[in-house]
Amino acid sequence: MKLQTASAVISFAKSLEDESAKFYEDLSQRYAKDKDVFLSFAKENRKNLVQIDRAYYGVITDAIEGCFAFDIEPEAYTVETALAEATSYADALGKAIKLEEKIGKFYSDAAEQSKSLMADVPRAFVLIAGKRAKRGSELRSLLGKEG
Amino acid sequence: MILEEPITGVPLVKNFIDGEWVESKGEIKDVVNPAKYEVIAKVPISTKDEIDAAVEAAKAAFPDWRRTTPVARARCLFRLKELLEEHFEEVSRVQTQEHGKTIDESRGETRRGIENVEVACGIPTLMMGYNLEDIATGIDEYLIRQPLGVFGIIGPFNFPFMIPLWSAPYAVATGNCVVIKPSSEVPLSQMKIAELVDEAGFPPGVWNVVNGGRTVVNGMLDHPDIRGIAFVGSTPTAKDVIYRRCGETGKRVIAQGGAKNFMVIMPDANVRATVASLMTSFFGNTGQRCLSGANLLIVGQDDEFYNSFMDAVADTASRIIVGYGLDESVQMGPLRDKEKKEKVIRYIESGIAEGAKIRLDGRKFKVTGGYPDTCFLGPSIFEDVTPDVKIGSEEIFGPVMSVMRAKNLDEAIEMCNANPFGNGHAIFTSSGKSAREFQYRITSGNVGINIGIVAPMAFFPFSGMKDSFFGILHTQGQEAIRFFTESKVVIQRWL
Repeated sequence: MKLQTASAVISFAKSLEDESAKFYEDLSQRYAKDKDVFLSFAKENRKNLVQIDRAYYGVITDAIEGCFAFDIEPEAYTVETALAEATSYADALGKAIKLEEKIGKFYSDAAEQSKSLMADVPRAFVLIAGKRAKRGSELRSLLGKEG
Repeated sequence: MILEEPITGVPLVKNFIDGEWVESKGEIKDVVNPAKYEVIAKVPISTKDEIDAAVEAAKAAFPDWRRTTPVARARCLFRLKELLEEHFEEVSRVQTQEHGKTIDESRGETRRGIENVEVACGIPTLMMGYNLEDIATGIDEYLIRQPLGVFGIIGPFNFPFMIPLWSAPYAVATGNCVVIKPSSEVPLSQMKIAELVDEAGFPPGVWNVVNGGRTVVNGMLDHPDIRGIAFVGSTPTAKDVIYRRCGETGKRVIAQGGAKNFMVIMPDANVRATVASLMTSFFGNTGQRCLSGANLLIVGQDDEFYNSFMDAVADTASRIIVGYGLDESVQMGPLRDKEKKEKVIRYIESGIAEGAKIRLDGRKFKVTGGYPDTCFLGPSIFEDVTPDVKIGSEEIFGPVMSVMRAKNLDEAIEMCNANPFGNGHAIFTSSGKSAREFQYRITSGNVGINIGIVAPMAFFPFSGMKDSFFGILHTQGQEAIRFFTESKVVIQRWL
């Protein structure tokens, strides 16, 4: 089912942040050499959750338009976070890059759809999309070192 | 995702008088969740003795409370604000459960209510008077604001949490005491607030809540110790009961009534953004807002624009998801009760009978989640509506859009101004000139420019004109401070 209300979109965004935080915590335990990078990503996810909450719960103009601001197909942004036992480090990084691209696209698309109706939620989404793009570059550089 | 309900069992609502939870001796009525059509609480219809007891408690608390410093009063409000934030999600879900609105709408209502508490926290600054030295040689003059005593606050059913907070925080911040009567259809939000008021440490008697109906309202209107009333409800009650009787009994009054808001669409409007705004405006809160769009007035003789715009509006409205507001996917909840739904249906039937063309029939709809359809309706859209027919002139208070056309902006403004109400008209345009002209000439207390729900923030007055408002000063912000205080002017000379 499409996500059209702000409440549904915020819950979905939170689930993405939660799932990806768990994914990076898993990576930090499996691949100790870049443990700090992965843990910093997981920590940043928690900050993102706070930022999303503040933007949504803190600004009334957003909530007024909240029921009609989005048109998101959640399946298009669902992320795969399970890692098989024998996953190589390069494959794990590849998976992380895909995850960041998908989540980044979710935030960009959601921000674009709601920007004319809402104020702070799309702004927060754009900021988080930017952070995700930076992560993508960082992960690609780790992959480059690996290769 | 369907969110958990905060109210379980069927609690009996009590009155909150003099800092105590008191069981009423009055008749008991059901509080019904309109989405599930089940009883979620029992509410008393309190007696005259009970409203008298509340006023007595408030009157007794007043001398000490007014001597409590504004800084100390503000600290009580700061604590209340913190407690409301802590319980934000719970109080929002209570609103959905007792009223039926969507969870997004309830959270918005909670935020708006809390904002009034925040503004009232600034009372040490807001309540300041002013002065002038040497109005004559050696003589100074200054103005101080003083509280009056006890105020009555009467809330409507459509915003059970927020509307009493348009007044109550300002009343108590300025040193008055209040007696609040929530709508007996939706008493639970105010009960929750009263619990938090108690926890915040307000002294007994400063903030009282008495549940009930006409007896409580009449008790407030007739009581010689009530100095003023803040009321939000229908125009007939606002005008013929509250405003008139406050005049007779010498009370201050804020009486906010109904509306018939026009959303004026210029051909240069941003169609995509406008259509989404209109969905919220006409169908948000299931049309049960005094700021809801009621008449959609499309300007110009360009049939191509009209048809494509109306196709977009009708298509979007036809896809609105109707259901229980605690389901996050739902965009429109039920009407507050069966009788309100029946009233809206009568308007739909009258629209058809009077010759308007029904483009989208809200009587044909599907409730997501399989809830009983007792209080639900879908969105309705009528075209070819004229301002003289019932659906074009009377307040429906439901999800019905009446579409009209005007040749040009002049005619559109005349049509808006000919309507007896003046609450929240809006224009959608990309032309600054049109917007300015509209803002300048429209007789509406709140005016939207590319905004579908013109709800003023807490630091601005909630305005209103003509049959939408009776009184002088409004709720919220500086005007509320003036309403709840007497201006005392002192002229002094030391010899």
